[in-house]
Formats: sequence, C-alpha cells, structure tokens
Amino acid sequence: MAGGLRPQKARTPVEFFLQQLVNGVTLGGVYALVALGYTMVYGIIQLINFAHGEIYASGGYMGVILISWLFAHGFPPMVCLGAALILAMGYCALLAMALEKVAYKPLRQSSRLSVLLSALGMSIFLQNGLMLTQGVYDRAYPTEMVQGGFHVHGVIVSYMQCIIVGLTVLLLVLLNLLVYRTRIGKAMRATAQDKTMSALVGINSSRIISVTFAIGAGLAAAAGIMVGLYYGSVRYDMGFVPGIKAFSAAVLGGIGNITGAMLGGLLIGVIEVFAAGYISSEYKDVFAFIILIAVLYFMPTGIMGENVDDTRI
Amino acid sequence: MKRALSLLAVLMLALALTACGGKKDENKAGAADGIKIGSLGPLTGQYAADGNDMKNGVLAAIEVMGPEMGKLGPVTIQSEDDACDPRQAVAAANKLINEKVTAVIGAYCSSATIPASEPLMAAKIFMITPASTTEKVTERGMPYMYRTCGRDDDQSKAAVKFMTDQLKAKTLYIVDDKTTYSQGLADNVEKLGAGANLKVLGHEHVNQGDKDYSAVLTKVKAANPDVFYVSLQNSASAAPMLIQIARMGIKAKLLAQDAVYHPQLIALAKQAAEGVYLTFGYTDKTTPAYQKFLAAYKKYGEPGAYSAYSFDSTVAYLKAVKAAGSTDPDKVRAEMAKLDFDGASKHIKYKENGDSGSNYVIQVVKDGKFTNYWNPETGELFK
Amino acid sequence: MATLELSEISVRFGGLQALTDVSFRVEENDIVGLIGPNGAGKTTVFNVITGVYQTSAGQVSYDGAPLRGLRPHKILALGVARTFQNIRLFQNMTALENVMVAQHCRTRCGVLGAVLRLPGQKREEERIRERSLEALEFMDLGEYAGELASNLAYGLQRRLEIARALATEPKTILLDEPAAGLNPAESRELMHTIGRISSRGINILMVEHDMKVVMGICRHIVVLDHGVMIAEGEPEAIQRDPRVIEAYLGNELN
Ligand SMILES: Nc1ncnc2c1ncn2[C@@H]1O[C@H](COP(=O)(O)OP(=O)(O)O)[C@@H](O)[C@H]1O
Ligand SMILES: [Mg+2]
Repeated sequence: MAGGLRPQKARTPVEFFLQQLVNGVTLGGVYALVALGYTMVYGIIQLINFAHGEIYASGGYMGVILISWLFAHGFPPMVCLGAALILAMGYCALLAMALEKVAYKPLRQSSRLSVLLSALGMSIFLQNGLMLTQGVYDRAYPTEMVQGGFHVHGVIVSYMQCIIVGLTVLLLVLLNLLVYRTRIGKAMRATAQDKTMSALVGINSSRIISVTFAIGAGLAAAAGIMVGLYYGSVRYDMGFVPGIKAFSAAVLGGIGNITGAMLGGLLIGVIEVFAAGYISSEYKDVFAFIILIAVLYFMPTGIMGENVDDTRI
Repeated sequence: MKRALSLLAVLMLALALTACGGKKDENKAGAADGIKIGSLGPLTGQYAADGNDMKNGVLAAIEVMGPEMGKLGPVTIQSEDDACDPRQAVAAANKLINEKVTAVIGAYCSSATIPASEPLMAAKIFMITPASTTEKVTERGMPYMYRTCGRDDDQSKAAVKFMTDQLKAKTLYIVDDKTTYSQGLADNVEKLGAGANLKVLGHEHVNQGDKDYSAVLTKVKAANPDVFYVSLQNSASAAPMLIQIARMGIKAKLLAQDAVYHPQLIALAKQAAEGVYLTFGYTDKTTPAYQKFLAAYKKYGEPGAYSAYSFDSTVAYLKAVKAAGSTDPDKVRAEMAKLDFDGASKHIKYKENGDSGSNYVIQVVKDGKFTNYWNPETGELFK
Repeated sequence: MATLELSEISVRFGGLQALTDVSFRVEENDIVGLIGPNGAGKTTVFNVITGVYQTSAGQVSYDGAPLRGLRPHKILALGVARTFQNIRLFQNMTALENVMVAQHCRTRCGVLGAVLRLPGQKREEERIRERSLEALEFMDLGEYAGELASNLAYGLQRRLEIARALATEPKTILLDEPAAGLNPAESRELMHTIGRISSRGINILMVEHDMKVVMGICRHIVVLDHGVMIAEGEPEAIQRDPRVIEAYLGNELN
C-alpha cells in the first residue's frame, strides 16, 4: 500500500494557472449556453424565464434516456451523442414552446409581476414533474462512452472537455449566423427592439417569440446533455444552481445582449474556477457574485450593455 | 390554447413513459386504532435519495413486524418530508404529533434531527435516528431519543487509524461540503490527524450541490497528498468528484465516509469509484437477520446507506411495544432498555443515552461492490 | 379594388373619447390628407387602421372585408403599411437590414431552412436583398445600405422609414407626419417622392402639419378636431372652411 504512493512532480504555477483556465473555460461554456436562453427571452419579452433551468434539466434527462438506450444498442459514441443532442434539443424546443403558450402568452397584456409569478410556478411545476416521472435518484450517464484525454505541457485536457468546448463554440457560431445572417434572425432582432413596429412591418411577433423560446431551450438542452456526460449524472433539481449562475452571466453580459451572455457565461465560469483555485472554493460563488455586483455598479447595463429599446408609440 | 396545453401534457407524459419505473407510496393513513409510526427525512431536495431509503426501510420493517403485533396492530406509517431543513423539520414533527404517531424514525441530517426532537420529546414521542451521526444528538439528556447508527467521533478515529496504520500515510488533504455532519467529521479528522503526525496539506470547503470540483482538484493534484479525505454530505455529490478525480489523474488514496456510502455512488461513478475506501458501520450481510431484511426490502430496490438502520430502528421500537403490550411511552422506554437482538445492520442494544455503539470499519469499492476491507479494532484485513 | 373604408369609428381611452364617429374612404389611386391640431386623434386613426388599437365602435374595412380582430402583421399582409410620426427604425440594424426585415411577410422562412441554408432559402434571400436595394434606391438611399440606422442623419432616417414601408409591397401606405423636422428643401424633395409613390399605383393617406405639402399634393382632405371630423373635401374648399379656420385659430392656414 504505502509503497504504492508514488511521489509526483509538483506542478509549476504556470501549469496550475493553465489547468484552471481549461477548467474555467469548460464550465463557462456551459453557463454561456444556458445564459443565452435567459437573455434571448428577456430581450424579446422582458421576462426572466425562471423555468429555463428546468428546461436545461429536461434536456439532461432526455439525453440520458436516449444516450443510454443508443449506447446500450451498440451505436458508436459520436452517433449516440449526435442523435441524442438533436432529439433532446428538439424535445426541449417543443417543451419551451408549449410552456410559452400555456404560461406566458395568455399573460402578454398582464403586469410583469404576474408573468414572473407564472414563470416561477412553471419552474416548480416542471421540477416536480421531473421528480415524479424520473424519481429522486440521480440518473447515471454512460460516462465510459467518452473517456480519456491528453496532456499538453502538464495540463490535462479530457476529450469530454474538448467536446464541450467544441460543441459550445459550434452552437455559438450557428446562433450568431442565425441571428445576424438570416431573415428569422433579423425578425428576432426587430421584435426585440420594437415589438409594435415589427408587427407593423409584417412580423408575426407571437411566432418569433415562440421561435426564441425554442432556440434558447435547444441550447439549454445541449448544455444539459454535456453537463450530464461531463459530471456523470443528472438529477431532477440540477437546473437550479446553474440556472442562477447562467442568469447572473446574462445580467453580467448585459441582459438581452447575445454576445454579452456568451462573454458573461465564460467570465462567470472562469472567475468561479480561479476564485476556487487561488482563494477558496468555499467562496467561489461569493466571488462570482461580487464581480457581478461590481460590474453592475460601474456598468449598470452590464459589460456589453442592455439591448432594450423602449420607444413607444 | 387547448392544443398547447395538451401538447405540454403529452410532453410530460413522454418523459413519464420513459421513467425508470416509479414507485408508488403507501401512505396508508388513518386506521383509528393500532400503531402509527412517523417517518421523517428529506423526500425532496438534494438528499431525497437518502430520505426515501429511510422511508423504505420503515415500510419494510412494518411489513415484517406488522403481522406479529397481534391486537396492538395494525401498524401504519405517516411519512413526512423535512427537506433537510431545520424549520421544515420542526413543522413536520408538529404535524406528526398531531397525527398521533407514537414514534418517529428519522431524521437524516443532524441539523434537522436536533430541532425536530424538541417538540417530539415534549410530547413523549420516541425518536430513533437511523442516520444522524453528530455526537450531540444523544448528548442532550433526552429520554426518548435513540440512535441506531454510529457516531462521528468514533468514525473519525477509525478513519485516522486507517490512514496512519494501514496506508502509512504522511500527508493528507481534506475536503468537506460544510454541513454540520460533513464539516464536523472533517474537522475531527484534521485534529486527530495532526496528533498522529499526519501533515494536513490543505482543507477545502465546497458548496453543497456543486458538481464542478475541477478547481479544488487541481489544487489537490498540485499538493500531491498521500490520502485525500472526502467528507461530502451524500453520494450524489461524491460521484462527480470521483469522476473528476479519475479524470485529473490524482494518485492519492481516497477515503470517504458513511454519507457517501450508497449503491448510487457506484452506479454513477462506475470505474472511478473502484478502490475508494469508506468508513462505514460494520454489517455482516450473511446473517439471517440481514437476509430477512433484504427479502422484505427487495421491492424498493437495492438498500441504500441507511435502509438497514432504518429497518432496525423500526423493528426495535415495535419489539419494545410488543413486549410492553402497549404504546405507553414509559412502559415502552423500559422495554427499549432491555432490547438485545440481532438486527439487520448490527447487534442492537441501546445504551442509557440512547446510543447503540459504533462499529466503524473500512470498506473498499471492489469490482463494483462495497466490500469490508480493514477492521480498526484488530488492525487486520477482512478475509 | 384596394379601398380603405372607415365607418363610424369611435375609440375611448378610459375617460377620454379619442375618436367619435369618424368615417371616410381612401380610394384607388387617392392621396388623402388627414389634418387637425395636435391631439386631434390623427395618429389614433392610423393605429386603428393598422390593428394596434381596437375600436370601441365602428369598423374598418379593406377591399370590402372588415379588419376587426386582425393582428397588425395580418393587416400589413393585406397591403396596408405605415410610417411613424416619431421615427421608429430598428436602430441597431443597418439601413438594408431595416428594409429586408420588412419583407418578412412576403416570404416563407423556417428556422431549420435558415440554419441549414437550404438552396431555396438562399435564392429567396438573394431576391429579398435585390428588392430591398431597389427600395433603398427608390428613396435615394442606395449609398447608405450598410450604415446603422442610428448613424443616419434625421432626413435620411425619415426616408428610410418610407423605404421600409414600401418594402412590404403595400397597396396603401399611411404616412404619419413625414415632413416633420425636415428643412424646406427636404420637404420639397419629399413632396416629389410622394408623387412618385402614388404614380406606382399606391394609395396614400398622410397626416401632415406642413400645409404647403398637404395642399400641394393631396386630392382630398379630412379634418379632425378633438376626435370629431369637422370637414372633408377638396383642398381649396377646406382652406376656406370657417370651422377649419377656427380649429386652427387661423394661424396656420393664413
Ligand atoms: N394609448 C393611449 N392611451 C391613452 N390616451 C391616448 C393613447 N393614444 C392616444 N391617446 C390620446 O388620444 C388623443 C389623440 O392622440 P393622437 O391620435 O396621438 O393625436 P394626434 O392627432 O396629435 O396624432 C390624445 O389626447 C392622446 O393623449
Ligand atoms: Mg400624431
């Protein structure tokens, strides 16, 4: 036993720093994906969609169900992952659209508080729905599907981290193309800036709102699956903490601002990991929130500025 | 609108159909006569898995003991959720008092057990905890307070003894997640370790419910300790930590504690759980008493960390009631003192303060199973 | 037969009667002026026609079909576009994007098609771009296509509003004070442009304070005061109408 304890070469401060950076970027990518859903919905209807964390959890569950099944039936890992991603993203998109129709659309003319309460209610409803249908126990992802990694100058990078970062970047690029290069993207931006005016140039704002919910939910589902694979399991209440972090990321970046949410997510992830690495993990959330408060104090609309246009007739 | 509603319903149903086989609760409330036992534990929130194990242990015990109770029966259960929250625990205890239970099996978190015990004691209702290991639980002079599991002071002694005597470790790194239990245990280990020439290279606190430990683990890796002591509040937090430890290539021996013990740990962490040591109360799984428990528990799945303790707590109470011939608290208390039987988890004999003694041993995860490994009493490996 | 007809429209905002029994028509190839002092209810008329506000009584019909209950984007799809008194461009978009987004209803698009860049989508995107550039050219904005709307000079923003409305391919266009804030040269230019729009076969209903503009191009004028129609007729007749003169306290018409 004792003989088995091999002394290892101590790490250099640079390696330590780089390792923490890799860790932080992985975590930040996930926050960014979830943050986008908050920010896009806020941008378009000025609603903090509290149920977004639960959509992320639902994505995680759909993922574990699909991946376990596919993997058990001998499909290659990348096929399992790809198929599960597409199906779970689609499922969550539908779920979010239904959620919007049921819980938010009827309240379009009501006070903001009513909609907010409805969002809170849906969050509780969906979380309990997951608990009742999926049980209180954690569900295991087949982590053996993607194992291993490689060393670069003493920094360990796992393949799963590569997948997370790679997929996050891919999704962010696709989202940017969608928002800035396509007609539906233009319509989304127009609706976010001025709902009445966009209706008056012929945009069906209900449909655009629906699509926005769907896209945000799709991204959250992808994040849910990647988190499940990375940490090995999902649980019905998994949406709560990342939900809060991602929401903070959205606020940090400037709520309503898509680029801001990406940056905010990355920043929260990196700050959290560095605070844990250099100060104490006990206070990592505290630091993330201190930075958030500081940014909001000096830049009240976040790093990139809010994207809220309040021109009225 | 209607279409959307039905769509939402269909989507929820889709998830329901893929469920892993939901279990139905048997909260058969309400026979006016008979014995009503309260079950108190976290049925929701992050410790829901452990709370449900406890409740299932009570259900299994009622099934076994119920028919033996004769005209004292029938035995029913009233199950309450404390979510591991002190205030909710007190509210749940009051509800159980109103429901006229005569004993409460619970709770899980020491921080819920202690406040919930106050109103129960005032109402002369037995409280037998199968899971709260904080010393203080039984050190408050409460006549109806019992504990079937072990105590943290004993557990930390076993842990440190294992590290020094068996692993011959010189350096130690500790992490806990800041609950009364997990931090109390970690602090004890740190203190005892320092006295036993174990150099503590670091003691980190993470937050409950965290899943990402990469930052802490990078530190652990840099510190390169002989042993990494993991004191987390439950298996669901420990599993991702083990996965990340494996991924990081940390070479330290891993030692965890009883809260991390759960079949779920192996189910979630899989290969990453191999070789992990844990301190856990010694249970001989070959005894007839354990086999009887296992048979009764089967329909609830694999027993969790506290299923057997919960089963034994219930059996102990019902045996005492049977011997007393009534649920009168003082008569039952006299009988509790006389109990001396082979329980599923261990031999049950309560001391004057309500404790039943600790018998911590070191287990190891081997070939996907928890296996007895080392006995601190004898300093020898189990066969 | 693209006629817009308002019959006995009334609108209330709480205790305020913003419009009372307003009835008039905009015929094929018409240029109708809607005038009246501030707060008379002119913009409200536009909001009623375009479906932004609901009427308390009366109805608007287009091509003989009632518009009641239709949401704004549906009314636009029928061919009624508008501009705003206070400019409401999509400030964070370029001039070209502002115009392109206005063709949303004239095209079919799906999220999936857009993401996958299906060939059909691509061709359509091309067509939209061409038509949008045309609309910009028509309003003499070709060289500003790539500018952010918020960076354009005021006069150009006014023109861009009109270009955007034209891009929706309307049969009827509602212009809310298009000359507001323009200098005399720009106003003259605008009158010329309105004439060109009309000659493309688009019916025009415009609110305007600048009487030179109104009297210069409108064939028919409707006068509102406190939500009530006080006069209607040819420009010359309106100019002489004592009720109109009284409403304006004489100062603007003389
Ligand atoms: N949404 C609204 N809510 C309440 N009052 C309104 C609203 N819109 C317009 N009004 C009122 O209706 C009257 C007519 O306004 P408007 O149509 O904008 O006049 P204008 O002729 O100057 O365009 C004004 O008194 C205005 O305050
Ligand atoms: Mg006006």
